[in-house]
Amino acid sequence: MVMTLSMSLITGCGSKSNKTLKVYNAGEYIDTELIHDFEKEFDCKVVYETFDSNESMYTKVQSGEKYDVIIPSDYMIERLIKEDALQKIDWSLIPNAEGLDENVLGLACDPDNEYSVPYFYGNVGILYDKTVVDEADLKDGWEILRNEKYKGMLYMYDSERDSFMIALKALGYSMNTTDKNEIDEAYEWLADQRDTMEPVYAGDDVIDNMISGNKAMAIVYSGDATYIMSENENLAFFAPEEGTNIWNDAMIITKDCADTGLAHEFINFMLDPDNAYANTAEVGYTSPVIEARKKAAADDYAEIDAYIPDMTRPNDEVFRYQDSETKAYFAELWTKIKAAN
Amino acid sequence: MKHFRRMIWPYIIWAFVIIVLPLLMIILYSVTKGGNELLNIQFTFENFKRMTEPIYVDVFAKSFKLGILSVFICLLIGYTLAYLITSFSEKVQSILILAVTIPMWINTLLRTYAWISLLSDNGLINTILEKFGFDPINMMYTDFAVVLGLVSDLLPFMVIPIYTSLSKMDHSLIEAAHDLGANKFKTFWRVTFKLSIPGVLNGVIMTFLLSISTFVIPKLLGGGQYTLIGNLIENQFISIGDWNFGSAISVILAFIILMSITFMKKIDKDEIEEE
Amino acid sequence: MKKKKIGAILYIALCFIFLYLPIVVTMFYSFNSSKSLTKFQGFSFRWYQNLFESSDIMRAVWVSLSIAILATLISTVLGTLTSIGLSKNRKILKELVININNVPIMNPDIVTAIGLMILFSAFHLEKGYLTMLLAHIAFCTPYVITSVYPKVRTMDPNLANAAMDLGATPFQALTKVILPMLKEGIFAGVLLAFTMSFDDFVISYFVTGNGVSNISIVVYNMTKRTNPTINALSTIVIMVIAVTLIIVNVVPAIAGKKKKGK
Repeated sequence: MVMTLSMSLITGCGSKSNKTLKVYNAGEYIDTELIHDFEKEFDCKVVYETFDSNESMYTKVQSGEKYDVIIPSDYMIERLIKEDALQKIDWSLIPNAEGLDENVLGLACDPDNEYSVPYFYGNVGILYDKTVVDEADLKDGWEILRNEKYKGMLYMYDSERDSFMIALKALGYSMNTTDKNEIDEAYEWLADQRDTMEPVYAGDDVIDNMISGNKAMAIVYSGDATYIMSENENLAFFAPEEGTNIWNDAMIITKDCADTGLAHEFINFMLDPDNAYANTAEVGYTSPVIEARKKAAADDYAEIDAYIPDMTRPNDEVFRYQDSETKAYFAELWTKIKAAN
Repeated sequence: MKHFRRMIWPYIIWAFVIIVLPLLMIILYSVTKGGNELLNIQFTFENFKRMTEPIYVDVFAKSFKLGILSVFICLLIGYTLAYLITSFSEKVQSILILAVTIPMWINTLLRTYAWISLLSDNGLINTILEKFGFDPINMMYTDFAVVLGLVSDLLPFMVIPIYTSLSKMDHSLIEAAHDLGANKFKTFWRVTFKLSIPGVLNGVIMTFLLSISTFVIPKLLGGGQYTLIGNLIENQFISIGDWNFGSAISVILAFIILMSITFMKKIDKDEIEEE
Repeated sequence: MKKKKIGAILYIALCFIFLYLPIVVTMFYSFNSSKSLTKFQGFSFRWYQNLFESSDIMRAVWVSLSIAILATLISTVLGTLTSIGLSKNRKILKELVININNVPIMNPDIVTAIGLMILFSAFHLEKGYLTMLLAHIAFCTPYVITSVYPKVRTMDPNLANAAMDLGATPFQALTKVILPMLKEGIFAGVLLAFTMSFDDFVISYFVTGNGVSNISIVVYNMTKRTNPTINALSTIVIMVIAVTLIIVNVVPAIAGKKKKGK
């Protein structure tokens, strides 16, 4: 029934060209050629908007803005599912899903992938300068971030979740803990690190800074690491054994979407191996489409191990949705870490 | 001139809808709790009480210190610049003032990135220093970098109002003061500066307001440890989604600013009444 | 006297170096062959090519420019008229308007943005070009009033009255007598309003929709993958302004000289 309905919608698309699809994605997170190709192939118009963070996307959607397809991160998808803002995916309309890496499916935020289709994925780790950092120190895992040998030489990432993830993992806890004692312990870890190491809490300017080799170590996403390493060959990337954050940005269809047929076509289109390859080659983040990833790993990112993060390590976790009380607690502690001096 | 009295009504109506209504909403948020929906509101002063915690008081103090410092530097550089510009012919003056403004038309983020590439450890300035055999200086993520970035961003907002008030000054007054035997410094202080006070005040207020709520420049040039009121408010509204607390912070900020402006205006009036 | 002039020129030159240094750097990196904004890795025109091929950016340029011009125009008229009217009203009303007027300047952008976002949603205005324009007028007008009003205060009101006594209509008194006296204030207001509008990100972002975005939105959302395409755009903007200034100022000067020569 859905099938025939969407078929008729798609064929209807051919006769009239006033069909539009509103897509909302992070900035600079797509090969824009693909949007034009999609418009041509399906004779429709794509209204493409961008956001700078999951949170500002959420604020915008909350204000009543309507989109058909959005590409947020895992924990935000979980929140949107909880708030009943999403439509179920009809996987039978996405034949290209066959090419997806199984390891990127079934993550904790949407265990059966009822609502989300992977777009890019990766993990978080330490990017370090091989000419400065002693490889032997790496065995300390996250504790290397408190090794006074590297005082004043590191960038932390200015995000409370990522920073607390590091401290919690270093202490052997889950990064999704709601236990206040564990959180307080992690706070002490970070406060101690701030006092002994004098790190810089940087945002995305870390990318340019590491390319220029301004400091010895930085916390970065694997996709950013891939790009930075391709510009500065002195650098290497590692994700400590104690566990890290594996993340997944995925495509979802909102309840506001009327033309679900076109939305599914868009998702299917992005998973086409050639398109997925063009996308990952342009953006630098890791594609969950095996064929595209293989090609990119061989051609564009040869010898850069950060490009293919291991998704099967037992200690790694996905960020889960936090209730507002927990979130406020973390935020307050993080303000304390940053502002106290 | 009575004819023109009614001309303010369009703005009053406009301002009521587009400024006062949202302001009332923000105030309402600040004294309630219960999320962003405003459906199940409960009145509370908790949001304001939270502001008295040392950590937030520190953030306020830091923001004001930074704001006052940048305004002061802007005033020193900007007054001199505006004063010197008025010594040229009227035509050259307008070109110079335009030239002061044009840098502002280039995106702030881009200009800040340019400062990063100038100031960073392996940046342009350090590269040049090293060529001449000097030791590199650590400039990024320091107070120096933040103040530099702010001053270069705010300078035009100081120069333009001061220039406006200096430009139409009656030069015969200054000459008269000279003729009466006043020395240059005295003339400047008693006549020129006094007459330009409205412009100075305007410039000081505008740069102060802009610097106190800024967050992009401190974040990029000072690092995340440079948490200011602007960041705090932005975090509450966007990352945390606690509009109630965010509103409370901005209401307090607005209140403090209003007090400082009233105070500054009082100085202005006292000065004028003295005469 | 000569010596003083040299000192003045030197100081102004130093200030301009300080103001234009970041812009020169921005222009420099527009010719970078790599994506970095801080490390120069070779000369190329690839970002200029990218710029002209990117229909998104060209559309954003159009939105930014047209909004800035319209908002400046409307807020200058509104702000100037209000300033003139203001000085003729009772003190209480005057103080009230001035204080309300300070609110958008005083509030952090994000607060104004959220406030306007809620307002437009409450009125069921469809977000897009119109809402963005309204928002820009909302935060530009205060800058015009702050610049023009002090000039109105120091203006001699008798001149306008005299003009009307001599038979000028109020409209004539306004355009022929009052406005010329406020010239500098209006000029300053125009500059500030245009600047604020052209560079605004936060407010624009929250009040727009339907795919309408300005240059700042494009730049800020590039955080992850900033690239020098926007530097190329800035270089072109500066070039256009420079050429316009030269044409406007130098050509009449040359023409004037020729006339004098004859």
